[in-house]
Amino acid sequence: MIRRYGRLLALFAAVETQYELEYRVNLVFNVLQQLVVTGTSLGAVLILFSYTTTMNGWSVAEMLILIGTYYIVQGVADSTVGPSVERLLEHIRLGTLDFTLLKPANSQFLVTMRHFKVRNLFGVLTGLIIIGIGLVQLNAALSPLQVLSFILALACGLGLVYCLLHCLATLAFWFVRVENLLVIYGAFVDAARFPVDIYPGWLRLTLSSIAPIGIAVTVPAEAMAGKLDLLGLGAILVATILAWTFTSWFWKFGLRSYTGASA
Amino acid sequence: MSAIIEVRDLRKTFRVSERESGLRATLRAFVKRRYTDVPAVAGISFTIDAGEIVGFLGPNGAGKTTTLKALSGLLYPTGGEARVLGFVPWRRENAYLQQMTLLMGNRSQLVWDIPAADSFRVLQEIYKIPDEQFRRTLEELVELLDLEPLVHKPVRQLSLGERMKVEFAAGLLHSPKVAFLDEPTIGLDVSMQAKIRKFVAEHNRRTGATVLLTSHYMADVVALCKRVIVIHRGKLLYDGGLAALASRMAPYKLIGVTLRDGADGDGLAQYGEIASRDDARVTLHVPRDDAPSRAARLVNDLGDRLVDISVEDPPIEDVIDKVFTSESVS
Repeated sequence: MIRRYGRLLALFAAVETQYELEYRVNLVFNVLQQLVVTGTSLGAVLILFSYTTTMNGWSVAEMLILIGTYYIVQGVADSTVGPSVERLLEHIRLGTLDFTLLKPANSQFLVTMRHFKVRNLFGVLTGLIIIGIGLVQLNAALSPLQVLSFILALACGLGLVYCLLHCLATLAFWFVRVENLLVIYGAFVDAARFPVDIYPGWLRLTLSSIAPIGIAVTVPAEAMAGKLDLLGLGAILVATILAWTFTSWFWKFGLRSYTGASA
Repeated sequence: MSAIIEVRDLRKTFRVSERESGLRATLRAFVKRRYTDVPAVAGISFTIDAGEIVGFLGPNGAGKTTTLKALSGLLYPTGGEARVLGFVPWRRENAYLQQMTLLMGNRSQLVWDIPAADSFRVLQEIYKIPDEQFRRTLEELVELLDLEPLVHKPVRQLSLGERMKVEFAAGLLHSPKVAFLDEPTIGLDVSMQAKIRKFVAEHNRRTGATVLLTSHYMADVVALCKRVIVIHRGKLLYDGGLAALASRMAPYKLIGVTLRDGADGDGLAQYGEIASRDDARVTLHVPRDDAPSRAARLVNDLGDRLVDISVEDPPIEDVIDKVFTSESVS
């Protein structure tokens, strides 16, 4: 079962990579854009830290780890679930979701993992490099437990972002056009560039509950920076499992309302 | 023979929002929507046996596509039952989806920017088609549909007709036992229509797949279907042989008469209602039962003036049109 879906995933990625390579100029500009965006956001943080040494308990090195984690989460989301979910909205509106639903495979998998923008994985690479720089700055020995909890927390964070995006797109079954919800999602994603605990209560609450993109980035970064305890790790794990269960149910529930665009 | 498709009292009602035109009505609808229930399928029943090709006819909005979608498992019906290959379609079990296909002439499942061959590979993986079978089926489809030059071009570079052929191949790669074809020839030119038709017939002959086909082109139906199911406003109007539909629905025949001295068809009015007149040829409407005797009288009375005479069934389009406008067969 897992092997079959793994093979499918690899095949989807391969096919979509071929497609990406067809448009070379687009690819180059994408990488350039990523560099510019990373550069400016790093610059902003460094300027901030030229006036202070910590921000709500986060040092500049820890901040770098957070920004790196942010680019990893964003890079993964933008290269798989994001593009698929965008297509899903189009498929629901045009009725071409029919074809996906006719396939003898898990429909949730097919709608969220079918389309790749492999070029956005460049963001993951950038993120890893920034985390590396942050770790060097932090100048502390990295325990295997830290790395393990980082990986676990990151997986949960990605799971949460996946659930959020998939639930937003599922709303299209009832409201058809929900692109604006994705724009709001984008705004919350931008907010996740900073640790979730620097924000005022209401925003912190939003970023950790309805739009858990905040904790999706902050918690793994805390893990890597050695600021996370087991309780925090357990909490994000439970939250992810709950979100995942809800998302599957919500998708199946939404499918019942799918009428397709009439022929 | 065993029934492959069984439908009993199938119903599907859609809830649609409606509003009058104009800005004010739009604003009102923005605040408070008004909904009406539209019964797209209002209780139809039929069964189809293995290997049959059945034409599913009806005017636009009759409920054909809704029925096909319910049978493919895309729509949950409001009421009634259906079984296809022993499965309840809307449970969408993989074992069922593995054995059926739905092809829609106006929609495409192929990815626009990549060659069809790549989409085929993805389909092979999704349907878990063993390599050997995949190769054999693809070879056969490529040969039957003449696809060789098409599968390696990005789909967006194909013409409408070429795309439809590739679309057919994609839909049939997994050798489905049941195929629902929704307007498979829509928008295609005459020769491409003929090719698709020939392909469907040949594929049915080779694989024994059961086919339920909708089309607005009667030529498709005449060429492929011995049996037709006619629905209108969600209700079944007729289910039976195509030939019987003509005799039942059109209780008249057409007698074509060509006269040596042309024109003057007025004298012919006594033999039947004049349906059309074209230079020397006059076409008469006569009651079906009287057709032989009237024709005999014409031959007798016109003698040497007669160049040619023919007795024909009315064109199937006219018959169908009559079904749709009258609404009450049987």
